[in-house]
Amino acid sequence: MTKKKSLVEVHEKSKSYDWDYPEPDPKYPSRFIIPKTGKDPFRMLVRDYVRMEEEKDARTYGFLDGALRMQVAEKTEPRFMEALKLTLPDLTNAEFQAVAGVGMIARGIGNQELRQGYYAQMLDEVRHTQLEMSLRRYYVEHAPDPAGWDIAQKALYQHPGGHVSLALFQNFNTGDVIDAVINLNVVVETAYTNILLVATPETAVANGDHALATTFLSIQSDEARHMANGYGTLFAVLQDESNVPLINEALERHFWHSHRGLDALVGWQSEYGAVHRPWVYKDQWQEWVADDFIGSYVDKLTEFGVEPPTRLAKVAQDVSWIHHSTALALAAIWPLNFWRSDVMGPADLEWFDRHYPGWAQVYGPFWAGHAAMADPSSGRLMLQELPSLPPFCQVCQLPCIMPRPDLSEIRVFEHGGRSIAVCSEGCDWIFHRWPQAYEGRKSFWAKYHGWDLADVILDLGYVRPDGRTLIGQPSVSLETLWTIDDIRRIGFEIKDPLAG
Amino acid sequence: MSAAGSRATTRGTSKVTVLPFGHSFECPDGESILEAALRQGLFLRYGCRHGGCGTCKAVLTDGDVEGEGSSFALSSQERAEGVVLLCSARPVGDCTVDVEAMELTDEEFRAGDQVGAFDTEVVAFEELTHDTRGLTLALRDPGTMTFGAGQFVNLEIPGTDEVRSYSIANAPHVSDRIELVVKLLPGGTFSGHLRSRLAVGDRLRVFGPLGELKLRLSHRRVLMVAGGSGLAPFLSMLRHLEARGKPRDVDLVYGARRVRDLYRVEELERLAAVLPGVRFVPALSEPEGEPWAGERGLVTDVIARTYPTLEGYDAYLAGPPAMIEATVPVLTGLGVRPANVRYDAFVPARA
Repeated sequence: MTKKKSLVEVHEKSKSYDWDYPEPDPKYPSRFIIPKTGKDPFRMLVRDYVRMEEEKDARTYGFLDGALRMQVAEKTEPRFMEALKLTLPDLTNAEFQAVAGVGMIARGIGNQELRQGYYAQMLDEVRHTQLEMSLRRYYVEHAPDPAGWDIAQKALYQHPGGHVSLALFQNFNTGDVIDAVINLNVVVETAYTNILLVATPETAVANGDHALATTFLSIQSDEARHMANGYGTLFAVLQDESNVPLINEALERHFWHSHRGLDALVGWQSEYGAVHRPWVYKDQWQEWVADDFIGSYVDKLTEFGVEPPTRLAKVAQDVSWIHHSTALALAAIWPLNFWRSDVMGPADLEWFDRHYPGWAQVYGPFWAGHAAMADPSSGRLMLQELPSLPPFCQVCQLPCIMPRPDLSEIRVFEHGGRSIAVCSEGCDWIFHRWPQAYEGRKSFWAKYHGWDLADVILDLGYVRPDGRTLIGQPSVSLETLWTIDDIRRIGFEIKDPLAG
Repeated sequence: MSAAGSRATTRGTSKVTVLPFGHSFECPDGESILEAALRQGLFLRYGCRHGGCGTCKAVLTDGDVEGEGSSFALSSQERAEGVVLLCSARPVGDCTVDVEAMELTDEEFRAGDQVGAFDTEVVAFEELTHDTRGLTLALRDPGTMTFGAGQFVNLEIPGTDEVRSYSIANAPHVSDRIELVVKLLPGGTFSGHLRSRLAVGDRLRVFGPLGELKLRLSHRRVLMVAGGSGLAPFLSMLRHLEARGKPRDVDLVYGARRVRDLYRVEELERLAAVLPGVRFVPALSEPEGEPWAGERGLVTDVIARTYPTLEGYDAYLAGPPAMIEATVPVLTGLGVRPANVRYDAFVPARA
């Protein structure tokens, strides 16, 4: 047997696999000063990386075979599986945007040690995309109602819920590389993945979905290294004091935006996509984001001049409400969804009001109305009851009813010859600080202004194989399903609330 | 685990393995795991070194140890889960401890004890109350100490190798001296020294800084609860807030028996006046027959009376164990999340 090389030797040798880019300048110039020194936080892993990941893959894929025999898809609560039709493609989009993001970061960071870490992260992000796609193939084949899973990624990019994911995660690969690191590795992966990938599996298990839990936990086992990439890069750029204000501004921007997108979607999945709720979303936020990320991670960086986001207290307040408002909006537009929404029954209403005092007064009447109109024979849609459709925020893409419909903080202004709406002071600040990043996005309502709702559904392609039954339904009951004729009979016309 | 005090009689050594590092070292009978590790150039987190603070918690995953710290530093649940205090635990045969929770890197673990040793000189010795002394030590060698508001030092009792832990009361920007608050205990070794012999100009040896207590960043309001010499870390934190000019919303409830037990009141009133968001609430439990316009009762009563809810608060406590033991359930009962309650118990050293 040959003598095993020392880790240091292996690490040094691994550096010789680096290459120079023919065009070393990044796509977007960086305002940060990136020092040449910095440690590769992966260096302990060069020898074991592939072996370790291969084993984790084998376990996860192996479980999908087991899931088949255990009939996991059949036993999962329909409400959970349906909400997943939006949130899982949302996450796959995040992984995919991250693949492109770490590619851009690796190319833009002229520091071989740090770059090494991002190469490995790119392999991870590809692995995550593949794991999620395999899980989704399992759902397509075995979910009792696969409608929506078959077109999920295409459907996602057309849907307002997918726009939330696009607006948030495209920042991984668009803009300054250090800004992208602060967004991806520091805010999304360090502050938020624990809620998504550690706490959500608990909800999945409580609702019967062991396949999702296994996949998410396998993904999460890579996140610690991504957090280390972010920390390593942050420490490297903190060596130059002139970077500090840029770091603080990037943290301010991405903390706010991630709060909007992730608290809305993950909160919605974990409480409105669940029959059994093992925890309360706002408590998870307190633990992982407030105590761990702000109270420990950011706290340690304050001696180098890093400041906590100034909107932290506002975020903490809004975390109690924005996913409820998101749930209301997604249920109100149910014919435009590519999954079945659900009615909230007495047990749900009791749970929400107990954990979010005041909930019943604000949201109770909506859910009573939603339940009353669930059957096609009602001939009514909640959309008809609204005085007007809420505009989507030009920055985070959430409907402008935040944090609550009765306390909306919407702001509308003229920009480049058209009306733009933002949901909050935070998004208003982001828009005006980086207008070129947000001004080009088209509005869902503007695209379909003047259309009959039935034609919009057909244009989106959200109908079942018979060509007339909607994929989206107001409840998970499969007894009586709404058809395109039911919708056309109502004659609801889309009116862009921002049209002049 | 057997009860404290039954020291092994046969001389020998035990092999101690430390996880997650997989590193083993020899620990002579009668020596604590912490002492043996530090002596052999390894580092493990520690604080008071007499089983009072809980900083050196580890999980005993294999083997047996004897020696327990204060019942206060480990909850009964932790004991049941095999958590031990390395400063008090002496191996009985080979054993394995897991220090994962200390979050040390391999480099830190192998770098040895980086906690500094300082030669200091007593520059002020002040009678704060009838049984409390203020001690200001100028750092001579090294001449400065980098510490965080809320940390403490170990002070060596002259002529012995024993140490006592005291919180630093000054703010970190005053780095060339440390100000300590010392409660005189009847029969205490160091108290006796303070009473009879200590004078300005004396040299004292100090080790530190130590401890994890610090005002953490959050969006929540802060409730500080101090008793006796437990005021020191909060003095440091409030002075630090003043120096940094970054305001936080802080209520400081400061409990004492009688007027004669209060100290630094004028400075706290000044801090409350100049720092927006800071409130100072002194409370006396036995003010009978004294002119006193402030709050009356134990800090637990005052808190229960003052706050209908403490949801959205972070709580910090420092003072006698009995006060902390009584106050923590009141705080969590009023809605402070258990993870957001942090404290330094001032456990007296066993004489």
